[in-house]
Amino acid sequence: MIKKIYKKSDELIIRWRIILPALLLVTFSLIILRYTSLGMPFVTSSFYKQLIWFFFGSLLFYLFQNIRVQFFQEYAYHFYLIIIFCLVTTYFMPIISGSHRWIKIGLINFQPSEIGKVFLIFTISRFLSENQLKSEQIKNLIFVLLLAFIPAMLVFFQPDFGTSIVYLFVVLPMAFWSGIRSYYIFSIIAPIISTLAAFQLQIFSFWMLVLIIIIFINQPKLKIGVLQFIFNISCGILSPYIWSNFLYQHHRDRISTLLDPMSDPQGAGYQIIQSITAIGSGGLWGKGIGLGTQTQLRYLPVRDTDFIISVIGEEKGIFGILIILFLFSIMFYWIINYSKNISNKFSALSLIGFSYLLFFHLLVNMGMTVGIFPVTGLPAPFLSYGGSFLITCMLILAIINNIINSHI
Amino acid sequence: MINVKSRTFKSNILILIVLISFLIIFIRFYFLQINQNRKHNLKAGSNSIRKISLYAPRGIIFDRNNESIVDNKPIYDLSIIPFDATDEFDYKGLSRIINFDSTKLKNQILRLKESFYRFKPKVVKRHVDFEIRSIIEESKLRYPGLIFSEFPARTYPSNARMTHVLGYLRIVNDEILKESISTNYQIGDVFGYSGIEKMYESSLRGIDGIEYHLVDIYGIDHGIYSDFDLKQPISGSPIYLTVDNELQEVIENELADKVGAVICMNPNTGEVLAYASSPDYNLNSFTGPVPIDLWQEWKKDRRRPLLNRGIQGLYPPGSTFKIIASAIGIEGNYAHPDWEVNCSGAYVFGDRTFHCWNELGHGKVNLNSAMKYSCNIYFYHLIQKVPFNKWYEMCRKFGFGTPTGIDLFNEKSGSVPNKLYMDNKYTSQGWAMGNLLNFVIGQGDILVTPIQILHMVNLVSTKGNTFSPHLNKNIKKKEVKVSLKKETWEILNYAMNEVVNSKDGTGKTAYIRNHDVHGKTGTAENPHGDDHSWFVGYLIKDDRLLVSTVVIIENGGKGSGIAASIAKTVFSYISKAN
Repeated sequence: MIKKIYKKSDELIIRWRIILPALLLVTFSLIILRYTSLGMPFVTSSFYKQLIWFFFGSLLFYLFQNIRVQFFQEYAYHFYLIIIFCLVTTYFMPIISGSHRWIKIGLINFQPSEIGKVFLIFTISRFLSENQLKSEQIKNLIFVLLLAFIPAMLVFFQPDFGTSIVYLFVVLPMAFWSGIRSYYIFSIIAPIISTLAAFQLQIFSFWMLVLIIIIFINQPKLKIGVLQFIFNISCGILSPYIWSNFLYQHHRDRISTLLDPMSDPQGAGYQIIQSITAIGSGGLWGKGIGLGTQTQLRYLPVRDTDFIISVIGEEKGIFGILIILFLFSIMFYWIINYSKNISNKFSALSLIGFSYLLFFHLLVNMGMTVGIFPVTGLPAPFLSYGGSFLITCMLILAIINNIINSHI
Repeated sequence: MINVKSRTFKSNILILIVLISFLIIFIRFYFLQINQNRKHNLKAGSNSIRKISLYAPRGIIFDRNNESIVDNKPIYDLSIIPFDATDEFDYKGLSRIINFDSTKLKNQILRLKESFYRFKPKVVKRHVDFEIRSIIEESKLRYPGLIFSEFPARTYPSNARMTHVLGYLRIVNDEILKESISTNYQIGDVFGYSGIEKMYESSLRGIDGIEYHLVDIYGIDHGIYSDFDLKQPISGSPIYLTVDNELQEVIENELADKVGAVICMNPNTGEVLAYASSPDYNLNSFTGPVPIDLWQEWKKDRRRPLLNRGIQGLYPPGSTFKIIASAIGIEGNYAHPDWEVNCSGAYVFGDRTFHCWNELGHGKVNLNSAMKYSCNIYFYHLIQKVPFNKWYEMCRKFGFGTPTGIDLFNEKSGSVPNKLYMDNKYTSQGWAMGNLLNFVIGQGDILVTPIQILHMVNLVSTKGNTFSPHLNKNIKKKEVKVSLKKETWEILNYAMNEVVNSKDGTGKTAYIRNHDVHGKTGTAENPHGDDHSWFVGYLIKDDRLLVSTVVIIENGGKGSGIAASIAKTVFSYISKAN
């Protein structure tokens, strides 16, 4: 059993093209945290805590280099069942800060939805790598979406809107990679976009035009094409109608609150306003680390976790933002580039899943700080303060490094 | 091979999606950080750098003996920051100290806690004084989130009220901001609304200082923000009044339950030594600026305490106005000292009968005795010899029909009729000599203010060399010269001496042994009730002109009575003080 899990390797290869950007991002984050937690006692200082988590993560990184990739594939479905079990268990745990996200074992609070991200990617990778029949593409797509949908719903009602969205969306690039027709994937996303776009007429009209062109290019059977178009347009027409006529104010409030489980709608609005002000006042070079008036004077709530990008934006300006985007670009480029050269389907799919998992987190988090996405509570990988998430990110990094080493 | 090719294509697509997303995010950041940088910088600035006004103390107001009569004391506005007010906040306890509905406030604060304005202080009580603040501060832990903000207010340490001289402060509000031309005020500032406070507002006010503090979201002050230079407040300049605090107090006591005005001046300098208008209102009866409901109450009061009678009260001058007729009589040679008139108590003119106040008559009277007895009949005869416009010119020479220019706002001009005025009012056929007979004894269309009457007597007592009345000791005195014949002044002075010092003079109530008191009484007929009682006069001691004074008591009856007696009190006090 042990031999099945562990492989013996002589030397540890570290893929610096991917690991170095991550290390630089963690360093950047630690510098920022050093100043936001200035003057705090050791135990509450997010800087020291994050530093300790980082050391744990590094240790984990090292340990994971010797695990056989085949193990992940072989036990993928077991992992899946474990995660479903854990997520159900959370509902029987006491509520911590307003949600059922945690499992408490002794002193340790454990958040299964974090490690669930990793397990879900393995599950989907295995399924897609083993079911490649062209004739069953639609069936397969629906099945993987269902696979993601079950834990996504469990997470959604914890409630953790952000993570559930990530669970669902991470399926799409993987399905795309596995060779499922992009038109099918598009057909899945289109109604969602129609529903959201409907709140602004110009965007909706433009979207309908795009929809028609795409349907036309892909030439499905006429009946299906027309049905698809009608379905999308009804999504668009009905959604604002239902929103304003069939939902009471407290329903709307509840949905808004669901989008932001941390606080009330006014609170969420407050955060966004403060975040935009902080970022906007940063300018080209920023006010200097530790000198951001918005963040250092606590106008910006949760600045260490969800809004650390705002701190960077204020204190390092657009220059700091550019560095972050640049480092992530390098990281994602190389992960995707490596997966191109790996013929093992499970491994390649896992790499795509992990890169896009990190990418979604970053995208949603940054979009939130500048007010183009709702406040969902998704942290920024390697940057946001938080032990569970940093460990997950470093675990993902470890698995990526391991997978690459196993094949190249 | 095909597999590798398709993988390359797919990886390119996925990389492209990442890069395009990053580009969109970057554009959004660029828009905020570069395009809108100025706007957000401003917002960030106002968010965390709080401008703190350092109130400049208003100038202190002193009396002529450098005793302070208006001073400063801080009062406080009490507010609660909803965010900081925890469940332990003792609303009931606080409501026992200051009066308010504790459950209502609690609900208000709870509601604000949930709202966007949870960090904005909610004012609970305005104008709390230092004592109440100390009581609350003793148990501050029971009131988390409670803050005090300082507010400048006035205090009046002197016994003399001097209400109408000093005036009061009000808070600048929207309305006042719109009216005023000056942009130096902000809503919530205080400003002098009346009296000296208003007159010398610009020098009393001083310049507020400014400090910029870094303040965090909890309102915790992180000290002065050094990038801005702080401005120390510059206190307002003190004002030294010409008023004598003690004399003022004496007079206010005399006036306490009466309606009227008393003004004392030094005719040699134009300095106002005391100025009282009754009824007044107690400036010490409230803290801070005048509460609006109290002010409304004053406005509605039928005794009209807001009316500054000394400069705004318009009265018929009564017999005090005979001084004018005498002056023109002598000056224009219309009334030779030997010219006599027989007073039988009544005088028939046309189809009307005019009466002397003494219906038994005064017998043969010349100018001197006519003044002494205040005989109307003499002046009825005299005015028929004087052209209307000559009489009018003399009125104007003595300052009637124009404000005296005392340094107080809203002084009334009064009115003295001339031909044009009468033609306009009654048409040229509608009036006749009969009206003039009334004017000469200070009745009819003539309206004067007490300060005008006093100014006339100042001119008489100084033989035409006085200064216009003023309250600020340090302003440039404005000379007032009236050139009449020396003989005219002497006869007037002598006549006024006789009024008080002769055994049968109408002003003998004001007589003080061994003193040279001059005066003229007046009884102004009042169609709405009892006559108003006038006395105007001056005191000479050891050849020094010490003080002039005017007294009017509304519905006080004859001038020889109450008005003269108050004047006597004033003269006695001055005499003792010198």
